[in-house]
Amino acid sequence: MADNLLEKFLHLRLPKLRPGLAALFACLAVLSSGAVPARAASFTASLDRDTITLGETATLSLKFDGGQSKNVPTPSVPGLQFANTGNSQNFSIINGAMSSTVTVTFSVTARQAGEFTIPALTADVNGQPLSTKPLKLTVTTASAPSAAAVSSGNEVAFLKLAFPKPKIYVGESAVARLELYLRDDVQNFGNFQLTSTPADGFSPGKITDLQNQRRQVQVGNRVYTIIPLAVPLTAIRAGALTLGPFTASAVVVLPSQNEGGDPFFRQFFNQGEQKPVTLATDPVGVESLPLPEQNKPANFTGAVGDFTMTATAGPTNVTAGDPITVRVQISGRGAFDGVKLPDQSGWGDFKLFQPTAKFTPADQLELSGAKTFEEIVTPQNSGVHELPPVSFSFFNPDDGQYHTLTQPAVPLVVKAAGATPMPAIATGRNATPENQAPQDILPIKENLGTLAQIPVGRDSVEPLIAKPVFLITQSVPVLAFLAAFAWRKRADNLANNPRLRRQRAVAQLVRDGLNDLKQFAAENKSEEFFALLFRLLQEQLGERLDCPASAITEIVIDEHPVLRGAPKMTLDALRELFQLCNQARYAPVRGASELNSVAAKLEQTLGELQEVKA
Amino acid sequence: MKNQFPFHPRGSRREEAQINCQLPIADCRFYSEPRYLGCYKILIFLAALLFAGNLFATDVTADFSAANKLYAQGKFADAANAYEKILQTGAQSPALLFNYANAEFKSGHLGLAIAAYRRALQLSPRDAELRANLAFVRNQVQSATVHESRWRAWAGVLTLNEGAVLTAVLFWGLFALLAARQIKPALAPKFRAVTRLVLALTVISGAILGLQAAYHFNSSVAVVTDAEATARSGPFNDAQDAFKVRDGAELRVVDWHDNWVQADVGGRIGWLNKNEIEVLPGA
Repeated sequence: MADNLLEKFLHLRLPKLRPGLAALFACLAVLSSGAVPARAASFTASLDRDTITLGETATLSLKFDGGQSKNVPTPSVPGLQFANTGNSQNFSIINGAMSSTVTVTFSVTARQAGEFTIPALTADVNGQPLSTKPLKLTVTTASAPSAAAVSSGNEVAFLKLAFPKPKIYVGESAVARLELYLRDDVQNFGNFQLTSTPADGFSPGKITDLQNQRRQVQVGNRVYTIIPLAVPLTAIRAGALTLGPFTASAVVVLPSQNEGGDPFFRQFFNQGEQKPVTLATDPVGVESLPLPEQNKPANFTGAVGDFTMTATAGPTNVTAGDPITVRVQISGRGAFDGVKLPDQSGWGDFKLFQPTAKFTPADQLELSGAKTFEEIVTPQNSGVHELPPVSFSFFNPDDGQYHTLTQPAVPLVVKAAGATPMPAIATGRNATPENQAPQDILPIKENLGTLAQIPVGRDSVEPLIAKPVFLITQSVPVLAFLAAFAWRKRADNLANNPRLRRQRAVAQLVRDGLNDLKQFAAENKSEEFFALLFRLLQEQLGERLDCPASAITEIVIDEHPVLRGAPKMTLDALRELFQLCNQARYAPVRGASELNSVAAKLEQTLGELQEVKA
Repeated sequence: MKNQFPFHPRGSRREEAQINCQLPIADCRFYSEPRYLGCYKILIFLAALLFAGNLFATDVTADFSAANKLYAQGKFADAANAYEKILQTGAQSPALLFNYANAEFKSGHLGLAIAAYRRALQLSPRDAELRANLAFVRNQVQSATVHESRWRAWAGVLTLNEGAVLTAVLFWGLFALLAARQIKPALAPKFRAVTRLVLALTVISGAILGLQAAYHFNSSVAVVTDAEATARSGPFNDAQDAFKVRDGAELRVVDWHDNWVQADVGGRIGWLNKNEIEVLPGA
């Protein structure tokens, strides 16, 4: 039972199985089957078909049964090319008998038509030399089907090649049309490959599938679908040229011949039958004409087609030596490979740099579009006043004539490079300083000059404006100005405000007076003390009440409206001080301590009085 | 007299101070050993610095003369190496860079010569010989190059430091005049014209300084130092070629990325490897 399951499991084709994994399966198979001996080894060679068309590929299979060769021989036949395309291994156990098959495949392509024989190949399989039988391969040349065959509808597919004109000029581009015809019963096609595209005397471009031009036509009694391909070609030599025959291979899918089952379901599930086909076109003759020598412009560089030209340049206001970008755009239809930047032999006053070219195609085939040349030029001196005219010549095959396009000169303003004055020693004694160019650089300097030391880790000395000290220093004049401004404002305020001025004067007077009072008290000068006290009271009250100090008497304490808002204690103290002054006139002698206490009281009262709102 | 402390080389100055001061050391306000010692230290340091500076200058001058001799003998490559060694010590002067550039030019290195001339111009922008040699070498360059705008050439007549000092002097002068007008209002009518003139000069000078600073801090020029450098469309080796530039081409630096510099010449932009160029900051 286990053997049967294993047989089913291992009866599989294991393409390109890893040798280790294959060996493991083989060992398991051998162990589980009771080590049944293997069959005898064999080595065979086979071709998948014995006739191919030139350009097609056949497959050669070398099969090793019951063993494996250490060295797989590679066939060698003159006129044929062999390329290893892979290995596959197959293990099977049938009725307890194990077999392994290794298949090595080669693709075979022919370089020429004819009969070829692949000789017997010998390989060492399990220590036993084994040989294959020789194989024959016939290679035929593809040919286009006859008109009768096409009309009969027997051809599943065929190719047609058409060239748009019988004559072409050297350098001219034209688009050949390759058409693949597929009969209406072809369900699908694939692996289409052009195997040969002989086009001697032409330079072919990129073959493009013209999908939007597919259509169906009636050929004979069958309908064919045309799949067109465009082949851009540029004639590169004169004479009678032959295009083709183009050959191609493809696989078409036709309805399966097995018509069993219900017709209704067959229409959905019929997978079709693949059939390889070889296709070929008839050759097409084209006459390639040389370009006429008559009227050929001197600046013609080989451009063939129909073109227009624009040229721009900028900037136009420069200093001698400055770069100017010149852009020349040539657009139109033709072979753009032959379109080159117009001749610039008259640009001697300019230094010309390597131009760049960029082609922007306008169609899939890249036969029309615009080619833009960009070139940097620098005027060499201030005597240059314009960019020379740009002239481009081409040959138009439509009218068979040469044409020349010219863009006018572009005015320039070129200033002398004034930032680079020539030192006197650079010019000779007799040289004209404006036109004489120096022949060499000026000699080295003998003196080292002022030496600067670059700090470690820097590549240059730090500039002043990057130093914080320098920047902070710049605030000094601003601060000085602000201080002067504030001082000026204060002075102006004082000058314009007499009350403030008096207030400050009285404050100063009181400060000085209090000191004097203390001095008089210490010296016990009662009379001077009270005279000064009375004066200080008058000055302070006069300032507060905004009236002359001499007009101040004790009466103002009760009568003046300003003092009505003053604290009662302050008013009482003022009255007391006035009364003390009056008493002192009659009894001036007092002790120093009493005078000091009066001075203290005055100081406090004047302080309170200064708080009274004037 | 008793509070003065003449320097006594022998004995303890601390003891001398106590004797002369007649005060406990802790109370002697006039004695300060660290300050004394500090003064001497500063003097010694300054003297050492001056001496070292002289030694350095002497050393550099000798090397400079030796390099000049090599140049005179026609050994330009050796002379260039000698000048380069001096530059590697951090010493820099317009003459040193000028001679180095000359030697590199004579050795066939246009890019290195142009880079050195440009560095020298940053230090001495009004040196006519420098400008003449730079123009001569530029004329040998077979590649597109970036030229200074007129504004830039005009602003470059002064070095950045010269511009800074000039602007500072005018700025101080302007505010001195304004302060004087505040202190002495009577002088205001007399100072009016001068103040306006100084104000205008300060604004112009400040604008030029701003332009110079903007160029210095925000702009760089790359000079191609390889025989030919390929500018690529991106900052990596596999990027598509954008254009080629040759030895000595000067390009305006647009951007940086790792070891790559994006440069612009005549509207064409590409990335160049730093190994192929020399970047001049503030150029």
